[in-house]
Amino acid sequence: MLLRILNYLNEHSIMLKRIFFVFLALFVVFDFSAARHEMHFFGDSIIGFWSLFGILGCLGMIIVCKGLSHVWLEKEEDYYDK
Amino acid sequence: MISSTVLIHPTTWFLMGAVLLPFLNNKEKLKKTVLIGIPLIAFTVIHWLPDSFGHVSYLGFDLVFGRVDQLTRVFLHVFTIMAIIGCIYGLHVKETGQHIAAFLYVGGSLGVTLCGDYLTLFIFWEMMAFSSVFLVWYRKKRRSIEAGFRYLLVHTTGGLVLLAGIFLRYKNIHDLSFVQIATNGATFADYLIMIGFMLNAAVPPIHAWLPDAYPEASVTGAVFMCAFTTKTAVYVLARGFPGFEALAILGAIMTLYGVGYAVVENDARRILAYHIVSQVGYMVCGIGIGTAMAVNGAVAHAYAHIIYKGLLFMGAGAVLEMTGKSKLNELGGLYKRMPWAMVFTVIGGISISGFPLTSGFISKSMIIAAAGESHRTGLMLMMTLAAVGTFLSVGIKLPYFIWFGKDSGVEAKDAPWNMNLGMAIAAFLCFFLGVFPDYLYKMLPFPVHYHPYTAYHLAETMQLLGFTGLGFFIMVKKLKPKPKMNLDVDWFYRKGARVFMWIASRPVLSSNNWINDVYRSVGLRLTMAMAKAISWFDWEGIDWTVDGSARGVVEGGNRLRSLMTGKIQHYIGGAVALTFIILILVMLV
Repeated sequence: MLLRILNYLNEHSIMLKRIFFVFLALFVVFDFSAARHEMHFFGDSIIGFWSLFGILGCLGMIIVCKGLSHVWLEKEEDYYDK
Repeated sequence: MISSTVLIHPTTWFLMGAVLLPFLNNKEKLKKTVLIGIPLIAFTVIHWLPDSFGHVSYLGFDLVFGRVDQLTRVFLHVFTIMAIIGCIYGLHVKETGQHIAAFLYVGGSLGVTLCGDYLTLFIFWEMMAFSSVFLVWYRKKRRSIEAGFRYLLVHTTGGLVLLAGIFLRYKNIHDLSFVQIATNGATFADYLIMIGFMLNAAVPPIHAWLPDAYPEASVTGAVFMCAFTTKTAVYVLARGFPGFEALAILGAIMTLYGVGYAVVENDARRILAYHIVSQVGYMVCGIGIGTAMAVNGAVAHAYAHIIYKGLLFMGAGAVLEMTGKSKLNELGGLYKRMPWAMVFTVIGGISISGFPLTSGFISKSMIIAAAGESHRTGLMLMMTLAAVGTFLSVGIKLPYFIWFGKDSGVEAKDAPWNMNLGMAIAAFLCFFLGVFPDYLYKMLPFPVHYHPYTAYHLAETMQLLGFTGLGFFIMVKKLKPKPKMNLDVDWFYRKGARVFMWIASRPVLSSNNWINDVYRSVGLRLTMAMAKAISWFDWEGIDWTVDGSARGVVEGGNRLRSLMTGKIQHYIGGAVALTFIILILVMLV
């Protein structure tokens, strides 16, 4: 039963992708209507600020972390055994 | 009268269980009854605890084994729940030793949570360290043996720092009671105690023991370890050090430090271990901010975190148990073979990421909102960025590369029923807390005026998570796991130890007298250096400790000379013996 659902979802990955994008748009639209009671800083007053924060934060984190790892921290798995 | 007081302490039950278990080796049914029964009893007795019990006057010290308030209760509640879940998950494990170690470990953690003075705290603190190392060793691989020794070494050092702090504090104020320390009155002694606590909370740069040891622990061992050591440290920090600025800043750094490594690491359990550093960072930061809301948030987050991090370790452990693999580059496409483990782990993943209706949503946001309310915008944004990284690394990357992605063709089937049951209970609790946050909020140390389900909070969370997901799928090729590991600060003692061992083993290999002479002088020099350090302490006016520790150091120098066998076990043994000698000396003075 569970497996059948998972297989079904896996076969319809394009549909899932479309639903995902629709949801992304809905989240931003929802932000227009969300009442802001407590503003902690300027970002709270900008519509869609957290969308931008999410995507830039995610991409930035991947680039910085992967970059640091690649040029400096990354070693073979048996590094300490040698 | 005394016996009833003893029985009400939940640690007693775990100790009795640990004593009983070796006799039940061949009686499977009875053994399983004990394994489930003891945590259940402990979970029951904590509801009937009086506010104060177990006062023992020993050689002029007032030891308090039971001090119960709201903060104690909530930690006891989640610790015993986690013990039940962990024991169900580990029910199939044949080695009794592993169960005994887990029992002692949980017992130690409950003892720390309940104790009212520093001496009792220290005893249970060390009990935790020495029992949990066996959970690492029971993996029985060379790597885990080595990692276990490093774990012990680091925790013994941390324990000694804590002990030094306790001594100095007693010298200063002649009081060992474990109470909140005022931010403006903190002395050197208090900071030593704080460092001892911070080591167990895995605050960088003294965090590397955690991602070093946890991924090498046994499958069930890791489930226990991820719950107790760091969260006991969070409890003692919340008890003793709320409002300390250092904690607020270090906590926020922790959240990013841990998650940064989680983004790049390859081993599933190493990702989760690094992610503990990140999550405990939220709690440490909340304690550091120190407002009622922030401390509430830290405690709520500790509660929620124990459940979903346990769940994630159970999921990754189930994969390791069934396939023998935990590296993401060797896994993939497992959803067809282990669908239930997938469902549970994904629930853990969305909880930790803070999806609405899960426990992360109602706890993590409380700390972030508290940072905002205290006008700590920097801390707030750092923690929000870490939340993005959390969803990226544990929410998507981990499940994606284990259960989806490219099919690795690894053979597997679903885990035994007891493992799935353990995961199911934890998964249920994740949703339960998310849907009924008041159940948790009512247990918190301060009254809660926070409402997580507001339109703006929902909009914020969904945007953050949704667009993080988008970012992942844009960069999915870059995130493809590689069979590599990343350096961390444990490099200093792992490579540094090599240098030490090289120097130490050469004289043993060679029978040259000249080298023996040099050797002796090295030992002497150590004694001299330590004596110099102690004379500094003496100058500070702590004559009475000096007598004990100076003797200990001379002895240590002698032992170091005679025990240069190159076996690190001996050094650890020596250090442990020294600790207890000092402890006994203090008890007798």
